[in-house]
Amino acid sequence: MSQIKLEHVMMRFGSVVASRDINVTINSGEYVTVLGPSGCGKTTLIKIISGILHPTEGRVLIDGKDVTDIPIEDRDVGYVFQNIALFPHMNLKDNVGYGPRVRDKSREETDAISEEYLTLVKMLDRSGYLPSELSGGEQQKVAIARALASGSKVIMLDEPLSALDARVRVELRYDIRRLVKKLGITVLHVTHDQEEAMSVSDRIILMRKGTIHEIGTPLEIYRDPKSIFAAYFIGETNLIECTVVKRTKKGNTQVVLRDGSITRIKGIKFDVGDPVVLSVRPEHVYTANDGIRATVREVVFMGTYWRVRTEADSQDLIEYNISTDTDTPAKGDVVYLVFNKKATRLFARPIQGLQEEIVLE
Amino acid sequence: MPEIVMSHVCKRFGDAVAADDLNLEVMDGEYLCILGPTGAGKTTAMRMICGLTIPDSGTITFDGEDVTQLETAKRGATMLSQQYSLFPHMSVMDNILFGPTIKEWDPEDSRIIANNLLHMVHLEARAKERPTHLSGGQQQRVALARAMASGSRILLLDEPLRALDARLRLELRKDLKSMVKSMGLTAVHVTHDQDEALEMADRIAVIRNGRILQVGTPREVFDSPATPFVANFVGRSNVLTGKVVSREGGTVSVECGGYIIKADDDKHEIGDDVVVAVKIGNTRISKTEGGWFEGRIERILYEGVSITVEMNVEGLGLVSSKLPNRKFDDYSEGDTVAVRWIPSAASVFDVPECGLEEELRVE
Repeated sequence: MSQIKLEHVMMRFGSVVASRDINVTINSGEYVTVLGPSGCGKTTLIKIISGILHPTEGRVLIDGKDVTDIPIEDRDVGYVFQNIALFPHMNLKDNVGYGPRVRDKSREETDAISEEYLTLVKMLDRSGYLPSELSGGEQQKVAIARALASGSKVIMLDEPLSALDARVRVELRYDIRRLVKKLGITVLHVTHDQEEAMSVSDRIILMRKGTIHEIGTPLEIYRDPKSIFAAYFIGETNLIECTVVKRTKKGNTQVVLRDGSITRIKGIKFDVGDPVVLSVRPEHVYTANDGIRATVREVVFMGTYWRVRTEADSQDLIEYNISTDTDTPAKGDVVYLVFNKKATRLFARPIQGLQEEIVLE
Repeated sequence: MPEIVMSHVCKRFGDAVAADDLNLEVMDGEYLCILGPTGAGKTTAMRMICGLTIPDSGTITFDGEDVTQLETAKRGATMLSQQYSLFPHMSVMDNILFGPTIKEWDPEDSRIIANNLLHMVHLEARAKERPTHLSGGQQQRVALARAMASGSRILLLDEPLRALDARLRLELRKDLKSMVKSMGLTAVHVTHDQDEALEMADRIAVIRNGRILQVGTPREVFDSPATPFVANFVGRSNVLTGKVVSREGGTVSVECGGYIIKADDDKHEIGDDVVVAVKIGNTRISKTEGGWFEGRIERILYEGVSITVEMNVEGLGLVSSKLPNRKFDDYSEGDTVAVRWIPSAASVFDVPECGLEEELRVE
């Protein structure tokens, strides 16, 4: 059991507020990623939980016990850094056995623990190697084994993959998830990579400007984001400024784009005349005989699909995906676009403007 | 017309071979990505084009003129390295205007270009600040803008988006390429990120251990990989080993872990040991139709636009299928599904001499 709870946590560095009124509970054994743009306070959050930072206000509880004033060495929270921090002069076995040894375990116990965790990360056959003899991905696996070998039931991963090659990153992220799930460890994993967050998390905490912007499972946040920023930051989306013109009896909303073209969205959240922003992901935009008129600007091969970038007559840039086994339109072609009305979302148009709402820093 | 030509270029550092008979042509106005894992020799290739490293043998020409021994400053190529050294005492704007000022461009034009570049890198609001007040990612973007305004026709970019947050990187992929194109520059862009290369490149050169494995359009490299490594590095593949048991026209049947699978191929004969690779995105699964074999779904990963279904197949191990996200509700962990693909989506290779595991290693 190792549930983490933050209550009204606030952190100030001089005049800068890095976290403001953070309230969240992480369940025992849960894998949670903390996602957000640079400077949003995500690393501060896990440093507070691990005890590296002491919050200016608020409390940190682990399994119901207030640990806010317990120093880092007594808190039993593992921490893996972005820049791999193995001891360069120690072989892998001694690196992984470091935690148990400083906790006064016997030589035999230390060796047994070290071997167990090296086995878990499939590195036992290299236990006599020095870190410098390993690749970056392998070193990071050993760093994770070392963090786990100290017996912590809670571990903080601070962008553990961002220093690695893209391809290595993909392999390793699944390895890490498999490992911690097997051991029942509670994980907070900080990342700025939305795809990484989506593919490994039980839940995602999306942070922005020191606060928790939104929390949900990957599916919830991707399918039903509660805000324009979440829709934009997690996955790709087309954002179109428009105005509500009609609420139909069938429970649909009609909106008008800047050039007067009309499209329908399921649901009736807004009133006629409301200024709104429509969000539709590229995989939910299709071509048809009639619809929003747009001109193809670019067609890009993305591997498993083609991405078509268009400019609508309303001057909105609208992107859609087509399967690689279908014919692609040519640059300059006119297409008519329709949206999957069930997968399209409407948000109130922000007072400060759409661009300001999605600004990344 | 080729603007840059590297022929038979070799370079060693002690025992390490960084370039092993490199041959590469970059066309005038082309956006070429050099893609490969860490230590493949990508940066060395770029440094040789720029003149910062001199090859042991071979030649490099720009527009037909041999520049192999020519000093960097006289080549007319600007390199953006991973260590972006901005002038700390100058504002962001003045850093970008450095090249145009030295070259005495029209000040009005220079300012328009600089403003466009600042907009491209999302830093309009920081024009007057000193680089030291910016984050690493922001400094990298200023360095990128400065390199583009340098006045060189050839732009050499070494991992130009590496230090950036993932979301911003997606934005810059689009904008950087269109800016390079609109300025009429020739760009060579080194990256380890296959998605970045696929999206940005006119052509991709896949490099490993100092050798170029394949040069082609993103579609060619993705759909018709030259080696098992390329098949699995540029978009993940299911890679299986087996023996050719029969042939029907351009399609072979391969016995593999006790199953018969099919693939298009015209290079192998009955009895040959082969490797078959098929992109996970071309690997189809079904609960109602038959397939080459059946697997039990172990995990379903929700990745946003796509899902990846991982199956355990007796005799073959883990096999994956990448599907559009609307299929998410169709499958559950524990389901048994049939797995197949269209034979033309699979590629057949000789069994690599170094062994398959070594061949597929990504670092």
